[in-house]
Amino acid sequence: MAAEPMVKLEAIRKSFGQLEVLKGVDIEIAKGEVVCVLGPSGSGKSTLLRCVNLLEPPEEGDIFIEGNDICKGPGSGSGEQSWRLDFVRQRVGIVFQQFNLFPHKTALENVTLAQEKVLGRSRQEAREKATELLERVGLGDKVDQYPERLSGGQQQRVAIARALAMDPQVMLFDEVTSALDPELVKEVLDTMRELAEEGMTMIVVTHELGFAGEVADRVIFMDGGVIVEEGPPAEVLENPREDRTKQFLGLVLDR
Amino acid sequence: MSEFFHQYFDFHYMGEHFWEVLEAFLQNLLIFAVVAVLALTWGLILALLRQLPGKKFMPVRFFTIGYIDLFRAIPILIVILLISGGIPFLEFIPKDIRIPHWLGKPDPFWYGVAALMLVYGAFTAEVYRAGIEAVPGGQMEAARSLGMSHWQAMRHVVVPQAVTLIPAPMLNEMISLLKDSTLVSVIAFAESVLISRELLAQSFNSSALMLTGAFFILIILPLARVVDRLIARNQGRITRGSHIEVA
Amino acid sequence: MRKTRLTTLFAVFLLALAVLVVAGCGGGSSSNSEESTAGGGGGEPLSVGSDIPYPPFEQGKPGNYTGFDIELIEAIGERVGRKPEVQDTSFETIFRDVAQGKFDAVISAATITEEREQAVDFSNPYYLSEQAVLVKEGSDVKTLKDLEGKTVAAQQGTTGLELAKEELGGSEIRPYPEGPDAVNALKAGTVEGVVIDAPVAANAVEKSGGIEIAEKVPTEESYGIAVAQGDTELLEEINKGLKEVEDDGTYKKIYEKWFHLEPPKAIFTETHEAE
Repeated sequence: MAAEPMVKLEAIRKSFGQLEVLKGVDIEIAKGEVVCVLGPSGSGKSTLLRCVNLLEPPEEGDIFIEGNDICKGPGSGSGEQSWRLDFVRQRVGIVFQQFNLFPHKTALENVTLAQEKVLGRSRQEAREKATELLERVGLGDKVDQYPERLSGGQQQRVAIARALAMDPQVMLFDEVTSALDPELVKEVLDTMRELAEEGMTMIVVTHELGFAGEVADRVIFMDGGVIVEEGPPAEVLENPREDRTKQFLGLVLDR
Repeated sequence: MSEFFHQYFDFHYMGEHFWEVLEAFLQNLLIFAVVAVLALTWGLILALLRQLPGKKFMPVRFFTIGYIDLFRAIPILIVILLISGGIPFLEFIPKDIRIPHWLGKPDPFWYGVAALMLVYGAFTAEVYRAGIEAVPGGQMEAARSLGMSHWQAMRHVVVPQAVTLIPAPMLNEMISLLKDSTLVSVIAFAESVLISRELLAQSFNSSALMLTGAFFILIILPLARVVDRLIARNQGRITRGSHIEVA
Repeated sequence: MRKTRLTTLFAVFLLALAVLVVAGCGGGSSSNSEESTAGGGGGEPLSVGSDIPYPPFEQGKPGNYTGFDIELIEAIGERVGRKPEVQDTSFETIFRDVAQGKFDAVISAATITEEREQAVDFSNPYYLSEQAVLVKEGSDVKTLKDLEGKTVAAQQGTTGLELAKEELGGSEIRPYPEGPDAVNALKAGTVEGVVIDAPVAANAVEKSGGIEIAEKVPTEESYGIAVAQGDTELLEEINKGLKEVEDDGTYKKIYEKWFHLEPPKAIFTETHEAE
């Protein structure tokens, strides 16, 4: 298969002030691939994710979405302006650890807002799509509720529906279950699993090793701003090659 | 002791001059009303300018912040005196604007309004800013990630949330403004403090000032209570409406 | 570690500031004591209230006041053996203040009026005055009446303000807290005339360009030194001192210095009965 990778990151470097968080990262993700990124805190995995949708534009390196170079060229300076923001954000959806639902809007309105304002869909169209998506994530009966009345797991599922409403090609998940009470984690993971089975390209930063083992096509382990090891879950999770990987997994599993 | 009451609580005197002082107090309310509208608008403009993102808007942000810093730091009295003492001499400004006599109000009124607007524009801008910054950063991130532009995100997501946090501190500023309207007395505008001091000079009795104070207290105290209640309600919201809940 | 260093730096700064302030104050009071070389050593000081500035009667900075009134009260003080300590105070409360004992006496170009005599007692007149109408040079206002319907400024609590209110029913009268503020308003063009004591007006014309006196309005006003009602002892002392100053030629000297004119004969014979 010589198809262009869906997402390609080349030699990505990112610093926050004096601290270099990403020290040269290369990734290629094929269409329909589900990649889980693991690592200790400070490893740069969240930052890497946020580079993909340009919430944290990298200082050095290149990003390609569907083969398109989204950097406007070396001469155009650093910061948001030198990247093709619109292009990226309409193809890449993201779900956050803190949900970030709009509290002054109902679940339905959360999902329709960007459809209307960004994609220009009619109110009718947007509502239909929103209703469909909310049903798909199992919240058909909660469409008119405000986020403060929903449980964490329900809010997160609304957040997923909200991102999906924009018809993204790639979905990013940034530790989306870390802020949830344990009994609510499953419903979110189930939704993500379904999404994966439907063929969505997903990059998932997570601590849920079980999920990674079952759903991921590939697992990447990051530490200290670089990729330490990557490969099929069976390999990385059960037979890690690198010492750092072994250390990390040992600590996580010991819990 | 009776001299004390005579100086401050001569009710007969207050009765004699009641309407005079009340009429002058209405001038304070007028200054307040005019400046409130102007300053609330001007402050919002300043706050939004301050938020403009990106490198190319840096000069705008820089000047806005400079303006706000300047007028937060300089005492209002000085601003009033500088404007009324300086502007009339700037001959290159046409006389009708330099020495305004608009809508039947004499120039000290307008100098006072201008000074108060410049300063309270800065204060209200800071209240707006606090409201906007109180909205969690994740909201803006989520909105931008969905493809919304900075302005779309501000208009549909951030500002509507900021607006609920603004009334309490803003009302505090408005209360200050009402009290500060008395500063215009120093450039001989006939509001309540000036009139009371006139009466004091004529009669050697301070009761008119006491009466003026009473008018202010009567209006401001209920407003202060409203502020307290708004603040208590917001506190409740913050602790209850945490977005991480168990079903 | 950094935090403590910052706090000590801040404390040192505050300390330095405090030292400067104290030194500054000390400087002020030393110049005060320099001024007191003249004047009686014996009696206790005389606290005197005056609304400063009001040139040429009183002007200057604390510790360095000067003017006709100031020099006169110092001369009087010398004669009666009490050193005057002059304090700046606002005019509209000045009579109430001396009545309540905040000062021993008030000398502030204060016209003797019946109203004021309800609160204070006045000495014999020490100055005969009139009001003046100040206008911008070349203005077509030539008399007080010409200011009818125009905007007029005066100082709060003064007889000039009273005169303006009495004579100019249709004008907007603006009372400023200080005399010079009213004059500035005239220069700025926000008012068209100022009604103020004639000598003050003359002084203003001399010191700044562009204004002139349109008319002098004789009002048979005289200035007196005010003391608390019933303080006859002090009043007698002051009157005695004033008479001595007039008799020995000091009055003439001070008068000519500040007004460039000979004092009118009438001042030497005018007396005033305290009511």
